[in-house]
Amino acid sequence: MGYDLASVAAQEMGGTVLTRRHFLGGLGSGVGLAALSGLLGIGGRQRVMGEEEFAATRTHIAPRAKRIIYLFQSGAPSQLETLDYKPQLQALHQTELPDSVRQGQRLTGMTSGQKSFPVAASQFAFRRHGKSGHAFSELLPYLGAQADRLCVINSMFTEAINHDPAITLMQTGTQQPGRPSFGSWLSYGLGAVNQELPAFVVLISKGSGLPNAQGLLSRLWGSGFIPSNHQGVKLRSQGDPVLYLSNPTGIDSATRRRMLDGIGQLNRWQQDAFGDPEIAARIAQYEMAFKMQSSVPELTDFSQEPDHVMDLYGPEVRRPGSFAANCLLARRLAERDVRFIQLYHRGWDQHGNLPDHIRKQCRDVDQPSAALLVDLEQRGLLEDTLVVWAGEFGRTVYCQGKLTKENYGRDHHPRCFSIWLAGGGVRPGLSYGMTDDFSYNVLENPVHVHDLQATLLHLLGVDHERLNFRFQGRYYRLTDVHGQVVRDILA
Amino acid sequence: MAFSLLAHPVIPRALVQGLVFVLGLWVTRAERAISFNRDIRPILSDKCFQCHGPDERQRKAGLRLDLRSSALSARNEALPAIAPGEPEASLMIERIESSDSDDQMPPAEVKNPLSARDRQLLRRWIESGADYEAHWAWIPPKRIALPRPQERGWERNPIDSFVLRRLEREGLSPTREADSAQLFRRVSYVLNGLPPSAERIKTLIQQHPANAYEVFVDQLLGADRYGEHMASVWLDAARYSDTNGYNNDTPRYNFRYRDWVIQAFNRNLPYDEFLTEQLAGDLLPSPTLDQQIATGFNRNHNVTSEGGIIDEEYRLEYAADRVQTTATVFMALTLRCARCHDHKFDPFSQREYYEFFSFFNHVPEDGYHKEHVGNPKPVVQAPDAVYQRRLELLEQAIGKAEQGELRDSLEAEKKALEKSAPTAMVMKDLAIPRETFVLMRGDYRNRGEAVTGNTPKIFPPMAEGAPRNRLGLAAWLTRPDHPLTARVAVNRLWYQVFGRGLVTSLEDFGSQGDWPSHPDLLDWLATELIRLNWDQKAILRLMVTSATFRQHSGADETLRRLDPANELLSRGPRYRLPAEVIRDSALWMGGLLETQIGGPSVRPYQPPGLWTEVIVADDSYSGGKYEPDTGPGLYRRSVYTWWKRTCPPPSLNTFDAPDREFCSVQRARTNTPLQALVLLNDPTFVEAARGLALLALQRKIGNQDRMAFMFQRATSRLPSSSELDLLIKGLNAEQARFEGKPEAAAAFLSFGVETGGEGHSLEQFAAWSVVASMLLNLDETITLH
Repeated sequence: MGYDLASVAAQEMGGTVLTRRHFLGGLGSGVGLAALSGLLGIGGRQRVMGEEEFAATRTHIAPRAKRIIYLFQSGAPSQLETLDYKPQLQALHQTELPDSVRQGQRLTGMTSGQKSFPVAASQFAFRRHGKSGHAFSELLPYLGAQADRLCVINSMFTEAINHDPAITLMQTGTQQPGRPSFGSWLSYGLGAVNQELPAFVVLISKGSGLPNAQGLLSRLWGSGFIPSNHQGVKLRSQGDPVLYLSNPTGIDSATRRRMLDGIGQLNRWQQDAFGDPEIAARIAQYEMAFKMQSSVPELTDFSQEPDHVMDLYGPEVRRPGSFAANCLLARRLAERDVRFIQLYHRGWDQHGNLPDHIRKQCRDVDQPSAALLVDLEQRGLLEDTLVVWAGEFGRTVYCQGKLTKENYGRDHHPRCFSIWLAGGGVRPGLSYGMTDDFSYNVLENPVHVHDLQATLLHLLGVDHERLNFRFQGRYYRLTDVHGQVVRDILA
Repeated sequence: MAFSLLAHPVIPRALVQGLVFVLGLWVTRAERAISFNRDIRPILSDKCFQCHGPDERQRKAGLRLDLRSSALSARNEALPAIAPGEPEASLMIERIESSDSDDQMPPAEVKNPLSARDRQLLRRWIESGADYEAHWAWIPPKRIALPRPQERGWERNPIDSFVLRRLEREGLSPTREADSAQLFRRVSYVLNGLPPSAERIKTLIQQHPANAYEVFVDQLLGADRYGEHMASVWLDAARYSDTNGYNNDTPRYNFRYRDWVIQAFNRNLPYDEFLTEQLAGDLLPSPTLDQQIATGFNRNHNVTSEGGIIDEEYRLEYAADRVQTTATVFMALTLRCARCHDHKFDPFSQREYYEFFSFFNHVPEDGYHKEHVGNPKPVVQAPDAVYQRRLELLEQAIGKAEQGELRDSLEAEKKALEKSAPTAMVMKDLAIPRETFVLMRGDYRNRGEAVTGNTPKIFPPMAEGAPRNRLGLAAWLTRPDHPLTARVAVNRLWYQVFGRGLVTSLEDFGSQGDWPSHPDLLDWLATELIRLNWDQKAILRLMVTSATFRQHSGADETLRRLDPANELLSRGPRYRLPAEVIRDSALWMGGLLETQIGGPSVRPYQPPGLWTEVIVADDSYSGGKYEPDTGPGLYRRSVYTWWKRTCPPPSLNTFDAPDREFCSVQRARTNTPLQALVLLNDPTFVEAARGLALLALQRKIGNQDRMAFMFQRATSRLPSSSELDLLIKGLNAEQARFEGKPEAAAAFLSFGVETGGEGHSLEQFAAWSVVASMLLNLDETITLH
């Protein structure tokens, strides 16, 4: 596909010559040089490695996708009940997990004291779908029907064994707080396409599986040491979609317009007096805020969506803040060229009562995720939109707590987990990687979190080793000092 | 609005600028002698040290370019890397200029190429003898004699001598002094984080016609507001927060540490003691409660209560956080880079990291905070005023009650109260120290050799006989010949005053850090801080009474081109105010600011549901819902706002306040549309605008004067006639609109506390409030200039 990010960017900038400063624009990058000096904040101190070169190319590789929709399943879905089919386990149900499989690997403090580690087979049947023949659990019928659009990876692994470090690793490339999140890297590196919406948007939904869900952390969409205009902007279902978007009651848009005109004039007089380009930037940002006051409500208003589209996403789409509603919103954001659309669906942490809880969680996500793919495809957006469905780690084959015929739980399992990708530049219908019969260890084609990150960046035209930011004397990047592009899954 | 930028506008300006450009910049920038530290080390460090630097394990070809002896010695190959005076005989030049991709340095796969300018500088440096200099920051500051600039009469104190000499060298002149109103406003913001009132300035000038400014500076330094403002900066560095962080992010109640910081600034605790009490207050002889509370500095890190975590992994993480924070805040060192391997750029081995780590590894603590909520141990009982009062009342009641049921229940209540007495998180050392090991690749499971507490060898050693603990460390940091402590301290103060550091990389004075814009000035200030017995107020007074600080902050296009970031200090400081200052000042402008000092954190307005979106749903983990305060808690200074790490106060966050999950010593200053939305629509700012309108309406003066009053409260100056015209027109338009739509006026005024006032209609009040809101939104209002 002949999509050229650099030339699009140049048009955005009104055809001006691109310099590094333009990359730091994010939400503000449409307002010209003046604004950008301000976005840097600290006297232009930050430097990009290989600055001149990066400035000339902006993207390093021909991009296959323009944007990402990242359907993050927070709490870590069990691979055993969703995407990693292990029929052999039925016969081994309630037998002890062999030491030869566990190999003395560390366990969390929640099960390390257990005397017994009985195998719990999935309660749910699997069925193969499509030409690819990938097996999906019966909990995911809609996604199964999309099998030939998906690239399923069963050989993901991570080092982190608890939620906080694991989700932080997935989203920022390191287990400890302090690094920029994935979306903020893209906002910083590629900037915004749509000047009236943020480059990086975050949507949160609560699962119906587990009321007491894992917490989320603002660092997951924070910008770490990159200037904070690159942090993700939450689009909320309660109150204003963007914080403080609405005028106070009693202030209509005519008054607001008059106010902005007055503020703008007073600011321009100041600029004449002090010659500070920061003032010009502020004037432009006030205009942008005004535009957002119409562009955001238009974005979140589903009233013009035809019934057949709404129905595609299932009944929950009509409940604001549901995962289904957020999927539809994600499509609308993709249509508006938002760079990084990050969904979080909470509630996958099923240490106990897993069968009941995962049934509900799958119902939350199955139809809407599949609908999103179909909807994007129908609009010609799937080819340059990369859709990712993943949690932070997998779950143990052995039961946590009491194993009965109907009930069991699973602890955290970092050594393998399953995800899927679809769209922009990913090989459709591929099953990649293999775990052992217990879904405990990766046997074939392991994919580390950093490899996934490197691959996603690659698809967006970015060399993960070259998108970096100097802080405290070091060039930091999303993949830390690791990561290999998984070429086998590229279309 | 034209103004003359020159202090002495005798020579025609255009001519000066032309000369400046031709003679000054051209000559000084391109042809000046090469300085290793300024010009060469940054290149070697950034492009070469990764493989030819201090890290032994990563070193290639046995070559070190951080040591001259290694760079000059011939190794296996015929040519030495560097042959002084002979670029053609230097292998380095051959390799960096090679077009053969196998030979080229740095190798292409490192993806960090040299620029043409870098290559040219390296060649010229070798031509001129390839002299090395020790890294400036490893050498104790030298106090040189004050420079004598040619221009006389401009300087007010020694700072100016350094600044002016540098300007003269670059062919520039200082900018004229700022208008008096600007200056009073500027210094009030710098020292107190709030604007001055016009009445106060007027009185000051009447009472002290000769030295009103200096008197004002002393008043500001003596005000309670000073400590609050200084603390809001320090608390970022100390990563202070009201929650425990990580996944569960439960509440903690450690505001006593925050109050200690405020008081320490207000009583001008000398910086050496300020440092010592925070690092080692518990180890002082018979430490007071305050000195113990000060050690909360090293306990402010995140603490996890996530189920199933591995204790040792997190316990070590806390010690590592203390290393990172202590090294960054007091020494601007990136010591943490040596946690998994030797430092790539600076001379710190991994072993030295763990020796330093050892100082912080003896705390009787757990990785897992098993109570989930509240202050993780170790803690001390720290009864506060509220608790004391409750206890006294109970004791009185018990004294009056007769034996029996009532008395028993009161006794029980007292017991329960004592059990829940407020605590403060403190540092302690175990009686039997823990062993500290080098951890291979930083992995808690992979222990190497055992080490004991020590400081990096590049610096002067700890005094003989000094205890090898945090107290010994504090003594080492505060010895007068320490190369970093005083420099880092004055650089931070400079940043707070001028908006950028003399070293702009506040967090890194190592070889990857930035070269000081005024090295001699930095050193002079550092030695001055020590000479004045570490008196921070005295240093601040020097800074704000300098002619450098008092310059006008405007710049025309030429000056902006010659000194775009004001690195040369060719004009006065100008920067967007910090988040806390913007909010506090709006409250002040609206007459709403509550000035009570200290106490538990408060909860101002915040949109509903922000916590619920992210917290663990079980209230026992999350510490409950966010319920905004009613009354004074809504209007306290932002330094008292409840700070939840996983969901920091949204409007402060929008103006670049960090989440405080880790130490940060410098904030970005962004300029975004979300900031506009906050100033226009956040109820705090809407209410402040209404408060400002009310203050104006309550004055028995004409509308023009009322408007001027509001304008002055926001900007500390009177409006020009065109500004006044514009605002009055705006007022009239809004008044007409509200009179046509009284229900809109009522709706606009329905929120919050202030709705009333006599002598004006609701429609008038609403219209004035709209104009007041415009004033709170001006760039000028939120900018220090």
